[in-house]
Amino acid sequence: MIDPIHQFHLNKIFTIGHIGNQEIAFTNSSAYMLLAVVLIAVMMLAAGRALVPGRFQSVVELSYEFVANTIRTSAGSHGMTFFPLVFSLFMFIFVSNIVGIIPYTFTVSSHIIVTFALALLVFLTVIIYGFYKNGLKFFKLFVPSGIPAVILPLVVVIEIISFFSRPISHSVRLFANMLAGHVTLKVFASFVTMLGALGFVGKVGALLPLGLTVALTGLELMVAFLQAYVFTILTCIYLNDAIHPGH
Amino acid sequence: MARGLRLSSELIAGVLVGAVLGWGFDRLLSTSPFGFIVFFLLGFAAGVLNVVRSAGVAPDRSRQ
Amino acid sequence: MAESHGEAKGTASAHTEADGGHGFPPFSKETFPSQIVSLVIAFVALYVIVSRVALPKVGAVIDARQKAIDGDLADAQRLKDESEAAMKAYETELATARARAQAIGAETRDKLAASSDAERKALEDSLAAKLAAAEKSIATTRATAMSNVRGIASDAASAIVQQLTGKAPAAKTVEAAVDASLKGTA
Repeated sequence: MIDPIHQFHLNKIFTIGHIGNQEIAFTNSSAYMLLAVVLIAVMMLAAGRALVPGRFQSVVELSYEFVANTIRTSAGSHGMTFFPLVFSLFMFIFVSNIVGIIPYTFTVSSHIIVTFALALLVFLTVIIYGFYKNGLKFFKLFVPSGIPAVILPLVVVIEIISFFSRPISHSVRLFANMLAGHVTLKVFASFVTMLGALGFVGKVGALLPLGLTVALTGLELMVAFLQAYVFTILTCIYLNDAIHPGH
Repeated sequence: MARGLRLSSELIAGVLVGAVLGWGFDRLLSTSPFGFIVFFLLGFAAGVLNVVRSAGVAPDRSRQ
Repeated sequence: MAESHGEAKGTASAHTEADGGHGFPPFSKETFPSQIVSLVIAFVALYVIVSRVALPKVGAVIDARQKAIDGDLADAQRLKDESEAAMKAYETELATARARAQAIGAETRDKLAASSDAERKALEDSLAAKLAAAEKSIATTRATAMSNVRGIASDAASAIVQQLTGKAPAAKTVEAAVDASLKGTA
């Protein structure tokens, strides 16, 4: 059976340098990250400036408006300060998810460390901006209003744990979705080849997993977008806490 | 599946942070295993809070 | 489900792979620093490109389009207002013209009616006068005719009586008899 995990392996292409004893390698993951960056940059910079947009320009402007509207509805107009950050996050995750669906490619967002680093970036942005903007009023975030004073300390502790669990759930959600989807796809696709090797009856039987693989690929396309969107909207909600912690 | 993964990741994240906090608490103050137990339970509560919030049952403060 | 499935496979394959990382690749810690470094490089590059070049460009295009659309809409609104004002002016002018025409018509009609009334009255008066004169002349003619008839009748009567009796009757008796017969016939 084909190893469904093989697609997540990192292969060293060359060594960039060392930090302490740790070797820093340029891997296939790095290559796909750069590919995503290059794709986004080319797409955004090659888009025309026509008053009436063509298809290509429409796609770029649609993504711009989409992210802008997401921020405005979730974090208010003040959230537009973070527009470049949120846009970069959305496009990076979305493009690397979509690229990952193409067979034989590598999915950057299927590695927990990548999604965790992105979630941590959002988390730290929220904390730093929250304290910079609101000072000590930022702590109001942990003190919900209308709670009896007796259980308030308990609630505050729970709220703090809930707050610190954000980057974990934020990153695990994206990572687990991509990983699970890709493993499922690979498993069903390997059924096709396995059954196909069993002669005529096997070939007929292989039609079922083949159809499932096609359907799952469609589903994965949707998940690729949906998870990028969920990551983005949660980013906006967390940023909203940094902007308006008193609510 | 996406919704299930989302909600379970919320719960696991809460429990995980609680457990890590408890473990750190124990290590610093050598109160093992009470800190771990207490924070594990608190983490579970926080996880449930996360799930309830993200499932949209309870009013979400950050969406108001 | 799929996740646990994958994990089981990952641990199984780790034993067979000699050079592979420790088990499941997404959790193999020795790749973390490389991944973080490349992610930081890639993401910082992306952020710089997006925030310095790409978004301002796209934003400017969208703004320009919005401005053009707003300008066109304002032009259209202005033209519409103008045409509406022209229409209104035309309509008021039409209304005043119609009112004036009606006034003139009414005036003329009144004048005509008045003059024709006066003419008719004059005509009627003259006709009535003529009628009265005619009636008068008829009456006098008749009266003279009647008196002539009376004279002739009394003359004839007295002549007949003279022929028959040979003696002329008294004029008074004849006249009374003529009057009586005239009254009877009349």
